[in-house]
Formats: sequence, C-alpha cells, structure tokens
Amino acid sequence: MKFSYNWLRELVEGLDASPHALERLITMKTAECEGIEEYAPYLAHIAAARVLNVEPIEGSHNQVAHVHAGRYGERTVVCGAPNCRAGMVTAYVPAGITLGSLDIRKRTIDGVESDGMLASGQELGINRDHSGILELPEEGLALIPDYLIEVDNKSLTHRPDLWGHFGMAREVAAIAGGRLMDPADVSRVPSGDPAVEVRIADYTLCPRYSALVFENVTVQPSPLWLQYRLEAIGVNPINNIVDVTNWVMAELAQPMHAFDADKLDGPIVVRTARPGERILALNDESYDLTAANLLITDNSGPIAIAGVIGGGPSAISESTTRIVLESANFQAASVRNTSSELKLRTDASMRFEKSQDPINTIRGLARAVALLEQVWPGIRIVGGLADAWQPKPLPAPIRLPIHWLQKKLGLAIEIGEVTRILESLEFGVNESEPGVLSVEVPSWRATKDIAIKDDLVEEVGRMVGYGTITPRAPMVACTVPPSIPEHAFHHRVRQLMAGEGFTEVYNYSFLSDDLAAKFGLQGLIRVANPIAAGQDLMRSSLIPRVWRNVLDNSRNFASFRLFEIGREIHARAEDLPDEVPHLAAAIYAKSGDGQAALFELKRVAECLNAAITVESATARDYEHPARTGRLLLQGREVGRLFEFHPTMVETGRAAVLDIDLRVMFECRRSELRYRALDRFPGSPFDLSVVTDLRRPVGQLQTQLAQLGGPDLRGLEFLREYAGPPLPENNKSVSFRLMIGVPDRTLSSEELTAIRERIMDGMRAYGFDLRA
Amino acid sequence: MSSSQTPAETPISNLRESGLERIRTARTPEELEAVRVDILGRKGSLANASKDFGKIAPEERARLGKALNAAKQELESAFETRKAAFDATAINARLESEWLDLTLPAPGPRRGALHPVTIIQKEIEDLFVSMGFTVLDGPEVETEFYNFDALNIPPEHPARDMQDTFWLDGGNLLRTHTSPVQVRGMQKLGPPLRMIAPGRVFRNEEVDASHEHTFYQLEGMMIDRDVSVAHLIFFMQTLLSSIFNRDVTVRLRPGYFPFVEPGFELDIQCLICNGPGCPVCKQSGWVELLPCGLVNPRVLELSGIDPEEWNGFAFGLGLTRLAMMRYAIDDIRLLMGGDLRFLQQFVP
Repeated sequence: MKFSYNWLRELVEGLDASPHALERLITMKTAECEGIEEYAPYLAHIAAARVLNVEPIEGSHNQVAHVHAGRYGERTVVCGAPNCRAGMVTAYVPAGITLGSLDIRKRTIDGVESDGMLASGQELGINRDHSGILELPEEGLALIPDYLIEVDNKSLTHRPDLWGHFGMAREVAAIAGGRLMDPADVSRVPSGDPAVEVRIADYTLCPRYSALVFENVTVQPSPLWLQYRLEAIGVNPINNIVDVTNWVMAELAQPMHAFDADKLDGPIVVRTARPGERILALNDESYDLTAANLLITDNSGPIAIAGVIGGGPSAISESTTRIVLESANFQAASVRNTSSELKLRTDASMRFEKSQDPINTIRGLARAVALLEQVWPGIRIVGGLADAWQPKPLPAPIRLPIHWLQKKLGLAIEIGEVTRILESLEFGVNESEPGVLSVEVPSWRATKDIAIKDDLVEEVGRMVGYGTITPRAPMVACTVPPSIPEHAFHHRVRQLMAGEGFTEVYNYSFLSDDLAAKFGLQGLIRVANPIAAGQDLMRSSLIPRVWRNVLDNSRNFASFRLFEIGREIHARAEDLPDEVPHLAAAIYAKSGDGQAALFELKRVAECLNAAITVESATARDYEHPARTGRLLLQGREVGRLFEFHPTMVETGRAAVLDIDLRVMFECRRSELRYRALDRFPGSPFDLSVVTDLRRPVGQLQTQLAQLGGPDLRGLEFLREYAGPPLPENNKSVSFRLMIGVPDRTLSSEELTAIRERIMDGMRAYGFDLRA
Repeated sequence: MSSSQTPAETPISNLRESGLERIRTARTPEELEAVRVDILGRKGSLANASKDFGKIAPEERARLGKALNAAKQELESAFETRKAAFDATAINARLESEWLDLTLPAPGPRRGALHPVTIIQKEIEDLFVSMGFTVLDGPEVETEFYNFDALNIPPEHPARDMQDTFWLDGGNLLRTHTSPVQVRGMQKLGPPLRMIAPGRVFRNEEVDASHEHTFYQLEGMMIDRDVSVAHLIFFMQTLLSSIFNRDVTVRLRPGYFPFVEPGFELDIQCLICNGPGCPVCKQSGWVELLPCGLVNPRVLELSGIDPEEWNGFAFGLGLTRLAMMRYAIDDIRLLMGGDLRFLQQFVP
C-alpha cells in the first residue's frame, strides 16, 4: 500500500517530520515500510503555458507551437498532439528536465528547433491520458511533487484502519506529533426518507449497507488535483464518480460503489447467490456464482459481487445522470472466500477481508458528498440516507492491570505514560481501580485487531519503543532439558560421514514422475499445486536425487564422496505420512573396477554400527545385478549397498549406501558394559575351505560360527585364493578360528575334539578342507 | 712378555692379546659375535683356561684368577665397544636408507564437509541446549490444523496469504514454517518449556538468487511464568552475538504474526557497515533477521495451556538466511544445488 506524503500532511496539521523521517518512524512504531520514492519531482519545474499560435510543418503530423510559458517566457516547441491549438493553456516542460525515462532536451525536429516540450497527463504522471497535451484551466497547474511511502501489505494484515490515509494519519499524529484533521463531516449526510430501498438477508454476512441517491450527475473527467493524487498512489483515474469512490477508499479505507440508478430495477437486496446465477462484472468477465457468494441484487438479479466487484450492466457510463452510491460493510471471511474462489482480488476485497468497521459506511458517504459537490457543483442528493444496520453492542472495555503490563514488557512504565499513549491512539482510558486501567477500544480497532489485554501490550510497547527495554536473563529453574537422542544421533552420523571424507548435500523433497518411474517408486504423495513441472511428487527415497548429484558432479570431479541425511516420505492410509530419516552416501570414481568403493561403503556402514552384516540381494532395475546387497542389523533390514547399474552411470562407477537411520538408531548399542579380560586365552587354528568361486564368504562364516557354537571365540577371515592347483571355478577361503572357553584352558584332547567337530561339519556341507 | 710373568700367566696373556686383535679386526657383527662365543662364551677359551686352576697351589690360583678376570673384563669391554660401533653403523645405514618425502600428498580421501546450514544449526542447537532448551523435530508434512489453525490462523484469515503453501493431495500440506513444532512441543512437554525446533520448510515460490521453495528455519519457544519482552531480547542478543562471534546491536519493531501478541520483527545492525548504511542493508543500517513475539494467549489455549498462569515468547530464525549472511553466500540456489565445488568449501 502506497501512502502519499502530501495526503498525510493534509490530514495531520502541523506535521513537520520529513518524508524519510516519517518512513523510519512508521517502520519503528507502526508497520514495515518497504521504501520511499519521490513522485513527479519535475512538477516543480513545469509551467502553465498559453499557446499563442500554431503553424503546420509541411510533410509532418507535427506542428510548431509558440507558447508563453509563464516564468520561462516565450518559447517555440514542436508538438504532435492533435489538440494543440492557439488559445489553450497547457503544460510546458523546459529542456533539462527528466520525466521518468524521458530526458527533455533542446533538439531539432522536422527541421525546427524545439525548446522544451508540451506534455500529456500521462507524461507528467497526473493521469493515464496520452491522447493529447494536458488541457489546463485558466488558473494553471497547482500540483506539487510528492513522496510515496510504501508499506508492506503483510504488515497491515491486522489493521483494517491502515488501508486508508486517514488511519495512517492517525498513527502519524500519534508518533510524529500534529493534529489529526477528520475529512469526513457526517452532518453532510441527509436524513429523511431514502430514495432507494435496501434490504439485507443476513446481517452476519452484511452487517451494514448504506446508500445515497444523487441526481443531475454529469460523468466527466475529475479535476487534475484529484486525478494526480490517485495516479500517484497507483489508482487509475477514470471519471469523476468512480474517482470519488476510489478517493474515499484510499482515504477512509471504505470501499464504495456507484450504480447507475436508472439501470436498477426495484429495491437493493443483499443476499447469497441462487443456483445457476451468473454475473457479468465490470472487468467484462462472467462469473458463475454459488450459495457461498454474497451478492448485491435487484429484481433483475445480481448487480454486484458484494465487496469484490460491481456488475457491468448497472455500471455508470457517460450517459448516467442519477447514481446510487453504495457504502457497505461485508463479513471478512465471506469476501475472502468469494475472492479466492473466483480468483479475483480487488482493492475492495483486500480491504474487506481485513474486517472493516461498520461505523465507517456513513463516514464514507459523508466524505463522498463533499467531494462530489466539489467535482460537479450541480449534483444534488435525492432523499435521505438508506441505511440497513443492526448495531452490535460495543465490546466491554478491556481491563488492563499496569503491574501485569509491566511484567509482560519487562519495563517499569508508569500508569500516566500508558494512559497518554493509549489516548494518543484514541482509546478511551480511565483508571477504574488503583493500578488498573479500563480501556475502551475505538470501533476501527475493535473489529478483530484488539480484543484482549495482550493486544494492548503491543500498543504500549511500540509507542514507548522496544529499544527502551533492557535485556534480562529470566530467573528460571536450572533444569536439564529432556533429551531427544535420535536428533543427536543424526548429528553424530553427519560428523562421522564428514570425517570419512563424505561431503553433505541437501536435496529437494520433490521428485518428477519420470524420476520416480526410473527408480520404480510407487504410491508417492502428489503435490496439488506444484511450483514447476517435475516437482510434483514427494520423495519416498533419497536415491534418485543422489543419483542426479552423482551425474552432475561427475562433470567436475574424477572422484568424490557425498552423502545426504533426509526424510523419505511414505504415504499412510490414515494419519500423516511416515517420515523415515535416511542416510544416502555415494562414492564415485571415473576409473577403476568399483570394488574399492563398495567395500569402503561397507566399512563406513560398519563404522556406524559394527554389527551390520551384508547379504546378497536381488537387484532393482537401477542397481548392478551382481553388486547389490542388503544390510542387516539384529535380523532387521537396515539398508542397501549397491553399485549403480552401468546404464545409470555411463562414465565411471558409483557405489551407494542407503541406510534407514530409524532402524539404525533403534539397534544402536545403548548400554555398554565392561566385560572382564580373557584370563584363559584360546587356541588358534587355521582352516581353508575349498568351494565354488561365487559362494559368499559370509555364508561360510555363518556356517563355521554355527558349528563352533560357544567354543568358537573368534573367527577371522584371512584370505581367499583361486588358481592352480585348485580346479577352475573353485576358490580356497582361509580362516583363523580361536577355540576356547572363558573359565579354563582346554586340554589338547578337548581342542582336537572341537576342531574335528567343526571340520566334520564343514565336510558334511560338502566342502573340501585344508587345515 | 714381561719379566714379572710366571710361565702359567703366559697363556692368559696370549689369549688376551689374540682376543683383542680378533675383536678389533672382526668385519661384521656376526664375526664379532663368533669371536665373543669363542673367547668369552661358556665354552670359550677363557673358560677353558680356568679349568686347570684346581691343580695349582692356592696362592698361585688366586693370582692367576685375578689375571684371568682382568683379561676377561678387558675383552668384554672391547667387545661392547666394538659391538656399539657396529650397531651405530647399522642404525645409521637404516636411517639413511629410509628417507621419505613427506611433501608427497597423503593417500586416502580428504575430509568431507558438512552443509553450511548443518554447521549453523548445530552451533545454535548447542548454544540453546547449554541454556536449558530441548531440541525437537516435527514432521515436514503437516496438517492444516498444526500449520495454521493451532497458530491462530483460521482458514479465512488473510494471514494465510503471507505464506504461499504447497498443498498435497488428500488435504495435508508441506509445513510453511517450523512453528507447528511449537504446538507439538507444548502438547508433548507441557509448561514450563524451553524448546527449539530446526527443520526444513516449504513455500510455493519461484526460485531465484534470493528465493527458494525449500529452506531451513529454527523455531524457538520458552513458556514459563512471567516471561517478558526483556527476556526475549536477552535470548536474541545472546543468540546473535554467539552466531556472529561479536557483540551485535538488535532492535525490535512491530511485526504482525497471528501466533504472537505483541509481534516483532527483529533487525540486527548491519554487520557490513555497522550502521551508516551500505548496499547489503539497502542503506538502512539494519538487516531484518527474525520474527518473534510473546506467544498469543489463544495459541496457548489451543495447546491446552492456561494463559493466565503461563506465558512465553517464540521466535523463528531463518537458518538458510543466516548461513548466507555468515558465509556471504549471494545465491540461495547453491544451498540446495548439491554442487561439491560449493559444498567442499565448508570443510572445517
């Protein structure tokens, strides 16, 4: 929302803060300003000029105009405007001035030296008329440069009153000093029998509908001062009637609408839409309406969507002579729902959805009466005020104990100061009992913004300035916070991975349909309103994005290690999705056979938990079918270890470790206990098992461990060998077994028996043995 | 041969002479060891020489014994000296042969880097844990209730426009802030309460150099009796001084967030220009850093906490933004880009 500094100055008598000082004050005490811009600074140099005579230029649509340009004297300019004619008064821009992006210089056009220029309303930023040069009245141009203070709309969400200059002027008077001048004189609204009948079907949806009828209207452009003010704050000047309604909205935050009274049929009824109703709106769009949409109707049907936009057929036009001026109040939620459903946000809907003050409808009309009489002196009010309204009882005053306020702020503020601050913002304040203020909230703050004493803490705090509060540590019990060990576990994993040479990446939680299909992921949760194509599914695996990381980085590095810790999102029938924390790590190398990377990842997995075992697994489509394993921990599947299928990574190889950190966490060694050192060391013996080349060593280890039972205290893999003299497709796998019991040394007979038992067992499995 | 020597002494003297000569001329440690065994060993020539002592007169025996001992000591000493010389030569030769070029690069992988957001997040967690805060996690997929309603943002509230939301099929959403963890934390732990909740959040925004649809926040909340704005400022100043490792000046100004009342925007005095204004702070001297405020009593009620008895503060820190400030990162897209050329710069 843009605020005109000139406008604020008119509303605050005696305001002496500069535009920049005011911007800072508003930011610190009221709402966040996004910037300040000087508007039409060149106006200080523009002179009203009478065109003395005009000569055509042969072969050109331009003409030569001799003008008398006030303080600049007589000048000759080349002008292409069709309305340039002798005797008119227009605007002269001397050379050396910049209008927006247009530098005005002396230059020769069509062989004539043009000294300055005659300007259109659009070129001067007064309106959007570029059909000809500005037509000024005899008295000339009395517009001055302005400053626009732009306030962040988000920071006005809770302040319906600040959606108009008058509301901001009230703040400005309180924070910068000065006397607030009320532009609305409600005595200008006539009483008596209204000339239009108004009925409201539901006072919850439409708390108030006020209207006045005017006749002897002539629709024509507004005076330039009015157009200029609207144009400056970004509102397009249209005609005197529409401009007046926009002015009132920009000043008092009261949206208004003007109907052509002669195009209305019967009384105005505010009701929700009936099935099948449709409206052609002012923007030439048609809208299908539902019972959720509140409408302004007459006998013929909808004439406006309440609080959002007027209808086309009932709109005023150049032929309009009588108008009905609507100044109403609509329920915020209803307007907001309709506006978002129809995807139609207007200046009116933006204001209504902030919960406007029903008192304001009459003030809006009063201001409009004064302005209409100014812009078209012949205009006449017909009848009295039409006003459908069921006044609500005023909210009870808020009880504000000063001691409580002091504790909340952490500031020893005096009761007199609090009273002064609240009164400067037009709260009604009296000390109802010692140390307790009874605070009446003004109507324009009572619609939603301020209802409880906590809301008053902000009013006092911002006005006194939070900078006056001294930071203080709280006096609270010294307690150990409840620990969340899983969170700390993730940090330990991160540290370990970085220590092992892996660099952490963060990836998006979104996947494309293509990527999900490539990785065989199904049942993914879909984003209803994705930001871009290809980001519409929630990842149920980290691997697709890690694969992208591998490909992307392989363009810059011959080898690298990376990891991500993130959440897999798995849909559940009821309840929120299951968010499973995973570790995905990858090792890429442009050259080599890839074995080292897989075993390095296996080693890292064992660093995370030494009890992890790997067993071979059926590969998925993206996994190397001969290099894929499942990771097990306490019999539970904890992850996968694999190399990407050669078709996935065409240059080089990448090995991947994918670990379910939830299972890993649940299987962590939570309680460590000391075990007495061995007093009776075991006896080692070495054993070689001859078997098929592709039999997993892990399987042999499992078999040996089972055969050894409790007598086997250690089992160490030594080496494997293939080649002569072994038969082809065979290998010899050597282990060192440690035999013993904790409480004594075994006799050589016992040792032999155990050894024989193990070896016989292995032979029974069909293996050749070499001791 | 000296005139004082008796005939029995002569073999001892000869043994000594020849022994010393052999020790001196031994060419290898092995040869020296052989000499030692020959002369000084248990069956060596000196031992042999003493074998016949039983046959001689006692006084003669004593004299000869003395001579033998003297010769033995002399030979042993010569042996030790020679052996030490061989050892020294051997160790010197080994040292010389083991020259190593330590300027060669070490084999094996280099240390990896943690993500800059991880680094900042951990620092802040450690700081708050040291001040008695617990660290909570919450889901990234949230219900409308936790993300909005429970934070005093009902469906038709215009504040919902402040956060462009990713909606999921089925009605859930991607959390737009870490604030829902406030509510979950209050429900789980009850008052009094000190908690922080770091995590990933989502906004439906176009991505450019300064906007991301996926970024990180850290929520903080303290619920106790008599928590004040002064306490909030204390924690914020402590937090920011710790992050930036210097004293920082902060200011609070009004900011509107439905779940706090009063609500603030906290600005930090620009760390680049220290106040006078520069391009980083858009000439204002201040940089907007985090929204905060006293917890709205309505939010406490919605979480089952009596606002007459308890109150508190809450803040939401943009971790991504903070990481960008700390490391002077000028393009937010780098953080989610997975480019190791960027990420490996954060190796400690």
